[in-house]
Amino acid sequence: MATQKVKRTMNNWRVDGKGRINRDKHVRFTFDGVSYQGYEGDTVASALIANGVHLMGRSFKYHRPRGPVTAGSEEPNALIGTFRSGAGRFEPNTRATVQELYEGLTTVSQNKWPTLNFDIGAVNDKLHKLFAAGFYYKTFMWPKSFWDRVYEPLIRASAGLGISPTEPDADTYAARYLHTELLIVGAGPAGLAAALTAARNGTDVVLVDENREIGGSLLSEAPTAIDGKNVGNWLIDVIGELEASRNVRVMTRATAIGYYHENMVGVAEKLTDHMASPPANAPRERMWRIRAQEVILAQGALERPLVFDGNDRPGVMMAGAAQTYLNRYGVKVGNAAVVVTSHDSAWHAAFDLADAGVRIPAIVDVRTNVNGYLQSEAQKRGITAKVGHSVTSVSGTKRVSAVKIGRISDDQYVTDITSIPCDAVLMSGGWTPSLHLFSHTKGSLQWDEENEVFLPGEKTERCHIAGGGRGLWSQQAVFDDGVHAAQQALSSLGHNAQPLSVDVEGDRAGSGIVMEELPGNDDKLSRRAFVDFQNDVTAKDIRLAVREGMLSIEHIKRFTTNGMATDQGKLSNMNGLKIASGELGRPTPEVGLTTFRPPYTPTTFGTFAGYHKDELFEVTRKTSIDSWAEENGAVFEPVALWRRARYYPKAGEDMHAAVARECRETRTFVGMFDASTLGKIEVVGPDAAQFMNRMYTNPWTRLAPGRCRYGLLLGEDGFIRDDGVIGRLSEDRFHVTTTTGGAARVLTMMEHFLQTEWPDLDVWLTSTTEQWSTIALNGPNARKVLEPFVKGADISAESFPHMALRECTVAGFEARLFRVSFTGELGFEVNVPSQRGRALWEVLYQEGKKYSMCVYGTETMHVLRAEKGYIIVGQDTDGTVTPADAGLTWAIGKKKPDFVGKRSLTRPDMLLPDRKQLVGLLTEDPDVVLEEGAQIVEAGDTAVPARMLGHVTSSYRSETLGRSIAMALIECGFERVGTSLDIPMPGQTHRATVSRTVFYDPDGDRIKM
Amino acid sequence: MLLIHCPYCKETLPELEFEYAGQAHIARPENPAEQTDAEWRDYLFIRSNVRGDHAEQWRHSHGCGRYFNALRNTVSDKFIATCEIGQACSNGHAEGEENNEQLES
Amino acid sequence: MAFNSTVENLPEMGRFSLRCKRENTVAMSKALGFELPSSISEITRSRTRSALRLGPDEWMLTCPMEERSALGKSLAAIYPDAVHSLTDISSREVSIRISGPEAEELLSTSCPRNLAELASGRGVRTIFDSVQVILTREKKDQFRLDVWRSFAPHVLGLLTVAVAEFECGL
Repeated sequence: MATQKVKRTMNNWRVDGKGRINRDKHVRFTFDGVSYQGYEGDTVASALIANGVHLMGRSFKYHRPRGPVTAGSEEPNALIGTFRSGAGRFEPNTRATVQELYEGLTTVSQNKWPTLNFDIGAVNDKLHKLFAAGFYYKTFMWPKSFWDRVYEPLIRASAGLGISPTEPDADTYAARYLHTELLIVGAGPAGLAAALTAARNGTDVVLVDENREIGGSLLSEAPTAIDGKNVGNWLIDVIGELEASRNVRVMTRATAIGYYHENMVGVAEKLTDHMASPPANAPRERMWRIRAQEVILAQGALERPLVFDGNDRPGVMMAGAAQTYLNRYGVKVGNAAVVVTSHDSAWHAAFDLADAGVRIPAIVDVRTNVNGYLQSEAQKRGITAKVGHSVTSVSGTKRVSAVKIGRISDDQYVTDITSIPCDAVLMSGGWTPSLHLFSHTKGSLQWDEENEVFLPGEKTERCHIAGGGRGLWSQQAVFDDGVHAAQQALSSLGHNAQPLSVDVEGDRAGSGIVMEELPGNDDKLSRRAFVDFQNDVTAKDIRLAVREGMLSIEHIKRFTTNGMATDQGKLSNMNGLKIASGELGRPTPEVGLTTFRPPYTPTTFGTFAGYHKDELFEVTRKTSIDSWAEENGAVFEPVALWRRARYYPKAGEDMHAAVARECRETRTFVGMFDASTLGKIEVVGPDAAQFMNRMYTNPWTRLAPGRCRYGLLLGEDGFIRDDGVIGRLSEDRFHVTTTTGGAARVLTMMEHFLQTEWPDLDVWLTSTTEQWSTIALNGPNARKVLEPFVKGADISAESFPHMALRECTVAGFEARLFRVSFTGELGFEVNVPSQRGRALWEVLYQEGKKYSMCVYGTETMHVLRAEKGYIIVGQDTDGTVTPADAGLTWAIGKKKPDFVGKRSLTRPDMLLPDRKQLVGLLTEDPDVVLEEGAQIVEAGDTAVPARMLGHVTSSYRSETLGRSIAMALIECGFERVGTSLDIPMPGQTHRATVSRTVFYDPDGDRIKM
Repeated sequence: MLLIHCPYCKETLPELEFEYAGQAHIARPENPAEQTDAEWRDYLFIRSNVRGDHAEQWRHSHGCGRYFNALRNTVSDKFIATCEIGQACSNGHAEGEENNEQLES
Repeated sequence: MAFNSTVENLPEMGRFSLRCKRENTVAMSKALGFELPSSISEITRSRTRSALRLGPDEWMLTCPMEERSALGKSLAAIYPDAVHSLTDISSREVSIRISGPEAEELLSTSCPRNLAELASGRGVRTIFDSVQVILTREKKDQFRLDVWRSFAPHVLGLLTVAVAEFECGL
């Protein structure tokens, strides 16, 4: 076939004098390892077509050969893989019609094995009758056990578009907020007219367009002249004027991907994908979040394919796309192009191509009534017009070689079939207003019966739709509509809009009809007439869906996957809907339209992530002492947003050894711990004690200044929310501590009660978490380490007992000194202003060497507190645990009339006898450390499934006790103390004895040292 | 992303500065101890789940920190009015009442 | 297109959170030696001190580090008659200054507010990326961010990446 032979000849499909490419700038690129040449300004698709290559990929399901069917971002077929320079820059599913050419670009085809020309998966195409809609749902149901092991892995291996990248994305991405009076989406005739109108009135305007240059349809289908200038010159003047306006920002390669509440539009701007060597530090893409007071949507319309047998063959494409390839890229898509249409616009496309030297063997129009002017223009060019005709099939597999056409008889059957040799088929089923963004706003669509299109109806946002989006066709009408939309927007903004007129010469008005599947000469069953090219959905599939009982378009969509591919049905939705409504015998608007959702076109994850990658992926909070921990080899763990030192291994130690040593040294000598992440709230005011009484379960009125108390906080539902030691600094000032993860939540809860329930209280809350660095010293030698540095307080056992608090200085730093313990040992917590934390830590570290002091991390802290049965809220409790369940009834102020959650503690459910209670577990084998989260069953219960009695909440190897210990929430746990239970774990079931939760020093003697 | 008018700052600001704080006008009983189990259950758990205009509490958490009342339509998601805590927002139909009409989406 | 803005850490300064009811603001102003601002986002100052009103009953006071004790004492003296909460937060936050012709746009990389509406000499508590900050527009082209200490590396990291992006000119 002639078209195959010319494949590697350079650029002989270019048309002299046409296109907006830079013919002085040659660009070399490769596709599937073959080197080709194009020009600056080309896309991969236009350059490949210029080299005679239409076959660019294989389809998803049937692996049918495919070529580009459009010239824009709506492209469903020509999806390729691109390798930009450097590792981590492979991208699958790039649309060849969008990817701009640059020197050295490497591209590959997809969905083929072993090669694009010979693909084994294409056997699916031969078996297509097996793979009808719903095939997977129906076929792979039996036997059930095969699903996980056989079917799903097989289906997954063969499914998917392209190949996922295997390396981390090497690029960076950016983000920006932008506020403007008027945002215009689309820089075609309507958008430009609106922008000029607004710009000349001094309005702040942002104009965005997904293409590399402004102009929209003017680039594809140029009228003779605009305002007396040729279109190229008119555009140069317009961009000059807009760029010179200080109040106007024009953004190209910028796609409005989503329209969100209150006129927030997400715009994905491509910054470097068109560059051979981007500048250093350049982000690849930038996500703009544009908040506009008014929005004009001037997105135009998308051309609809016609549905006929073989309409997916390479060489079959939209008539408007062929026009774009010619007028914008100077490329003819074939030497002999048959045009098939139901709309006038394809006649103009045929004329443009004919005038550029492409032979048009026939224009096949399904309509019997076609404008006489068009017919005479065809005649002038020697083109045969076949009105009232249809296409029945297409020949050629990897490139169209002929079409069969015939006359449509009165009974919609095609007769008098003839075959016309050709190397391109240009189709047009008319134009669908592009209302995707408008749909994102939940704006309603109204069915225009006369033109059979959905048009914008009720609006929910301050937006205006202009031009093709309102079903307007001629460029004069579209320009005028753009001006009108701008006037409306400006009037809403309170600006006076001077009218502006754009004068179009050689305008091409036109109209058409909307077809279902084209009439043919067979029973339709053997036809491969595609509706959704990317998901390989045929007209037959949609009819089958209706016959199988799918009545709504939403069901049909999910059954057939029509419109569910990455192009979101831009080409397929209306055809699918028409075929479904025909099969259902119901009017189109009753069958409905599926909802468009963001993003408008496929958008990289990186663009959504923006700056949030690597160390900026999320906030990592670090204490002032963190740098010391890092320098001294700490291993870290994340706790809420913080990273905390988990343990400090010495040479040769694993976690187990390090934690055992830290525990041993702390209990024997003294250990130092960075507790700075504990939440801290300063509660101040004459009603501070009253407020504390209402919030916490404990009584506070009689707590003396200079003393502390353990505080327990419940939700109003009676469940434990948080806990911590609370110190009274003075009559009117409390220093509240919270759990690390609960700090923000507790302050929010307190503020909520204070502001909405008790605004009469004179008390104020201030977060002081980050005001203080907190260093905990625990162990028999703790006082010896600390004492030399304390000024202004006597910390002897007599004057500074357990749960005492002093304001003093430590090592010269102002300090709040607490005598508290979360280990059961003699303990102090020193709070100094944050930025002094590391200095104090180092002073104490030096001093500690005299007393065999270790530093320990969160893991040791967990073990030591578990040995004492101290709970960690959120680990040993889970939002369903009451104070009674946790054995904390002692923390409840019995005489208090009320506190948050008190009333809930006597609700019937809270008093049930079979509640889960927090107890200890000691395994029969002392070396077994149970898994946290492991389920617990009755001893000897081997039933499947066994009745689960509860779960392990904390479990450690205790160095102090020389065995494992665990805490668990167990049904009727308190009654079970002394009895045995089983804990099934992978490989083995372990038996354990239920115990009290205090494993070490039950009388608390060590804390009083 | 919604825009929300803070009745204290008297500015209309991005949603990111705010957080939702539950249904509005659910007052904590004066004396919880006197509540029956059913009354207390209602206070804790029973909410209106309106399709339409919903009286809500919001907080300008990354701003002035104040809780305030709002009327928001749960179909369109949008705010109809906001007002200081202790007041009821007017929706233009009935003073402080929920407009629970069945809206077509 | 040259990039001419800077991002710098400011030295430590005294900061307090002051909370009180409306009826006591006169007494507060008197004790502080200057008038507290009456509207949210407004800043007033004396020679060494300043007050930014953050909410209906909340101000952020600043002063030199060495003046903190004096400031605390002057307010403590009136506490019995004009109850309030004064809490030292000098160490809670660090301050970052962004200045230069691109300062506003640099902040717009992570700040959802319309910064054009923040007048010179005003400040607000707002959000920068996911981080709560106090943003003050000291001059047209000069901003200060007060950020909780542990969040500052994240904020500075974002600003550093943004500066590199601005410098590359795309």
